[in-house]
Amino acid sequence: MNDRQWDQLVAVIRGETIRPLPTGFIIDSPWLPKWAGHTILDYFTDDRVFLEDNFKAIDTFPDTIFLPGFWSEYGMCTEPSAFGSISVWEENEFPFSKKVIHSVAEVDDLLTPNPRKNGLLPFVVKRLAHLQPEIERRGHKIHFAVARGPLNIASFLMGTTEFLTAIKTDPEAMHRLLGIVTDYLVDWIAFQREAFPTIDGILLLDDIVGFISRRDFETFGLPYLRRAYDTDVTVKFFHNDAPCKASAPLLADAGINLLNFGIQHTLTEMRTWTEGKITLLGNIPPRDVLADGTAADVERAVTEMLEAFEDRSRLIVSCGGGMPPGAPTENIRALIATVARLTS
Amino acid sequence: MDQLSSLREAILIGDGGAAARAAGEALAAGVSPVDVIAEGISPAMGEVGQLFEEGEYFVPELLIAARATKEVFAILRPLLAETGARPAGRVLLATVEGDLHDIGKNLVGMMLEGAGFEVVDLGVDIPASRFVSAVEAERPQIVGLSALLTTTMPAMKTTLEALDAAGLRSQVKVMVGGAPVTQRYADSIGADGYGDTATAAVELARSLIGRQDAEASQG
Repeated sequence: MNDRQWDQLVAVIRGETIRPLPTGFIIDSPWLPKWAGHTILDYFTDDRVFLEDNFKAIDTFPDTIFLPGFWSEYGMCTEPSAFGSISVWEENEFPFSKKVIHSVAEVDDLLTPNPRKNGLLPFVVKRLAHLQPEIERRGHKIHFAVARGPLNIASFLMGTTEFLTAIKTDPEAMHRLLGIVTDYLVDWIAFQREAFPTIDGILLLDDIVGFISRRDFETFGLPYLRRAYDTDVTVKFFHNDAPCKASAPLLADAGINLLNFGIQHTLTEMRTWTEGKITLLGNIPPRDVLADGTAADVERAVTEMLEAFEDRSRLIVSCGGGMPPGAPTENIRALIATVARLTS
Repeated sequence: MDQLSSLREAILIGDGGAAARAAGEALAAGVSPVDVIAEGISPAMGEVGQLFEEGEYFVPELLIAARATKEVFAILRPLLAETGARPAGRVLLATVEGDLHDIGKNLVGMMLEGAGFEVVDLGVDIPASRFVSAVEAERPQIVGLSALLTTTMPAMKTTLEALDAAGLRSQVKVMVGGAPVTQRYADSIGADGYGDTATAAVELARSLIGRQDAEASQG
């Protein structure tokens, strides 16, 4: 993300209306390497491929904002790896973490990892640090600290079914687990900020928030998200493309000011539930339209979405979730062009 | 039938101990194991599913309700075996190869059990060859395939092709589901059905069993 795009992002979050409306997408390993002609494992392991693929996207779509920008992710493996989770890698599949807690009692055996020394985390930071001069030479900056959210990490550590069951059956143990995870998360974000002083935003990705009730979110989500976001950065960005009606009214209380959500909800609904406090990044159907539809389908979906949503403040047009695997160039161009045509 | 009301209440709040006690009391009062399922567990899980669809219940509520039914089934299963009562159907469930996600599969499995189906859960990351051997060994009426990742969806097609190559495809109905899966995708790979929620999967399983029975009766 270059300075102009960052300034635009911040302006939208502050409530300024920009014409044409900005577009933006979360791009990462599910879409980027295959789109650019590489395998997922090459994208993770070859710095030249990582850089080349990111700049290819930037150069192909110069009029859109890619979020969070340069992001040295290793799929779902980064945060769990520091707890000793086994990472599973395939040439062209998303890597995955195996759970490390096999019973609720094992929560008390967990140690809080050190992001500076444990798992893949030092590699994530060092990789970006090695690439930072070239990124900056080409006019971009590392603006975001990025991590999976606390519930998402907890579910990777003990299994989603087990975690979501245990918040009902063993709530105290789950608070201890979330406490450990959040201590680690706060430290991980701090480490990224120390390494890259250009960071002025945090992106947390946590779909598990979408699976729980408002009451459970108040108990098991909000306090931990609030802690994770409790730092002096300008952009507090949250991704949850699972249904989030229950949590939406409380997200601003966690400090969140930018939200990428799923297609279960309309922009109007989300604007109402968040009381206009949060900038919305969405929400064209990612799979059925952006990836599998035609350019004409994309144009139609964007038109219908914008016609149904008159308030153009605090809106960045995107898809409901991250860029989906297989989204073709012409469809992304169609989205950007349609937004420009309709909102100039 | 106070015991069945208590059983329903216990399942709705996910209290396995209370559910097991209520089921035991119902059995002691002369309610048959089949009626405990048909008039106690199934309607309760139907209500849980309805509350989930309406946004009143969420995944944890669904999970603990299903867990409560498991405790009741632990009591009922030997009694059902004695009476020779047949389950609503036998379903083989698994997450396809390359995919380690289990939440969708588990929810479907629990809801199916709550509806009186016998569920054989193979687990996650199951290659097509294991589906083939499990269908041969377990003789299910339905095979349920789950995937959470767009990249693992093609393994559903591979599994269907393997069942076809093994000559087993006509013996089972195949239903598919998972976050990235759509009806269009299900149709494109030749699946017999698609469910977008766990409760939809239960209805789908019932209708597939009905179709299978109808096809069998037509010879």
